[in-house]
Amino acid sequence: MEVIRDVFLFIFNNSNRILEYTVNHLSLVLTVLAFSLVLWISVGLIISKYDRFATSVIGLANILFVIPSISLFGLFVTIPQLGLGRKSAALALILYAMMPLVRNVYRGLKSVDKSVIDAGRGMGMSTTQILYQIQIPMAWPVVFAGIRVAVVMITGMATVATFIGERNIGRLIHHGITRGNAEMIIAGALVVSLIALFLDYLMGLLEKRVTSPGLRHSSENY
Amino acid sequence: MIQLEQVKKIFPQTTVPAVDEITFSINKGNICVFVGPSGCGKTTILRMINRLVEPTSGNIYIDGENILHVNSDELRRRIGYVIQQVGLLPHRTIEQNVGLVPRLLKWPEARIKARVMELLEVVGLDPSETAWKYPYQLSGGQMQRVGVARALAADPPIMLMDEPFGAVDPIVRGRLQDEFLRLQQEVKKTICFVTHDINEALKMGDYIVVMNKGKLVQKGTPMELLSEPANDFVKDLIGDDRGVKLLDLTRAESLMMVPESYPVARDCPCFIDAIQPVKMALEVMMKNDSDVVGVRRGDKVIGTLSWTEIKKHIHRISGD
Repeated sequence: MEVIRDVFLFIFNNSNRILEYTVNHLSLVLTVLAFSLVLWISVGLIISKYDRFATSVIGLANILFVIPSISLFGLFVTIPQLGLGRKSAALALILYAMMPLVRNVYRGLKSVDKSVIDAGRGMGMSTTQILYQIQIPMAWPVVFAGIRVAVVMITGMATVATFIGERNIGRLIHHGITRGNAEMIIAGALVVSLIALFLDYLMGLLEKRVTSPGLRHSSENY
Repeated sequence: MIQLEQVKKIFPQTTVPAVDEITFSINKGNICVFVGPSGCGKTTILRMINRLVEPTSGNIYIDGENILHVNSDELRRRIGYVIQQVGLLPHRTIEQNVGLVPRLLKWPEARIKARVMELLEVVGLDPSETAWKYPYQLSGGQMQRVGVARALAADPPIMLMDEPFGAVDPIVRGRLQDEFLRLQQEVKKTICFVTHDINEALKMGDYIVVMNKGKLVQKGTPMELLSEPANDFVKDLIGDDRGVKLLDLTRAESLMMVPESYPVARDCPCFIDAIQPVKMALEVMMKNDSDVVGVRRGDKVIGTLSWTEIKKHIHRISGD
């Protein structure tokens, strides 16, 4: 009980600093998310059209995903054009988001029931109409599953960017560790979790708006 | 009218043709059933008519127009297409599913709405109850009905149906077949119907095309197929109960005895209509424990049909 009280006391006493870190954290995550969605959804669409690239692109995404984040951040810092700070952090996180996004867009589009596409073609829908009116709407549940994984993952990984100069919640945890301050660490972890949960909740709302009620019952299978 | 001329299809990476130089035509307003074992090429023929599959050689004409010279999307919007898996768009309501082709054809919204409601009624679904639902909320039989309604939406003169009632249980299938035949009396579409079920073929077809290994084995009316099967393959396909099946297609009047049996006819314990199948006569005989039924047209007794006559008839056909 004592610990909990201390954590809240810490948050209360350092609210300005925590607010600044939170804003930084959120802005990094949202920047990364915006770029990732545009970039990786496009890539997903392209590889589902040109299937021969799919294996290698998804393979690349998997390889990027298993590189330890701290080393990727570090590596980008050594590139002069990127250096310390936001650019390196954002770029690394965008690369990590590739795996869940590209893979789920591809999977989502490919998992569309063949008989539905066949019926669409048989009724005279063009390839573009099939993509926009059948494949994409039907892929949303799987795509959103990927987006939500990516959001939570980026939020967590962004903490590590503190080591390359980002002033975000990661700093709280990092300082907590170096000072052996448990309240600080817990407070940091707590805020990061809350940010992740909040963003995931927002994505859930968006998913509900975008996904047809006709698919919602089956989306539980994914 | 649909005409196929020497149509051949060899799929990539295969050497054996899936469809081998097939020639035939289907008259306006007829149901032509393609029947045969799986892999016989019946579905491929169907899919060549709406260009989901392009023939390797040969030509297909619809009302004299070579379909290979028509834009394939526009061609398909003029041809109704029903498949066994139905393929309803799960993310669209029933209303949107049925209105799909009219929307592709850019009909005014009010006309689409009215048409959808009309069609749901036609296929035996309650429009106010069904229109707003999503496919997962329907039973298999209801989905098949929606599939038929969707194919009829833009009132295409031609319908392609690939085992349209294959995914439902036999009872529902029988009902859907009956309703569809009744509907066809009104709409008079030119229909290509694919099935592997010979009984369905005999029931639905004005003409039947029997296929095996990409080749056309026999074409003819159900009656012709039953009474003169071209070879053992067709015989096997029809089954050992060929004679009994024929009774289902033979009208009572064609076997009845006239007119010297008039006195007997009036004393018959039971009657059937002249246009009812002989099978019905047997049923009535068994129910009444009688060897003879009277045949009526309207209120008038016009002859009798006896067990002996039926036996002779069966013997004539199946006696090899």
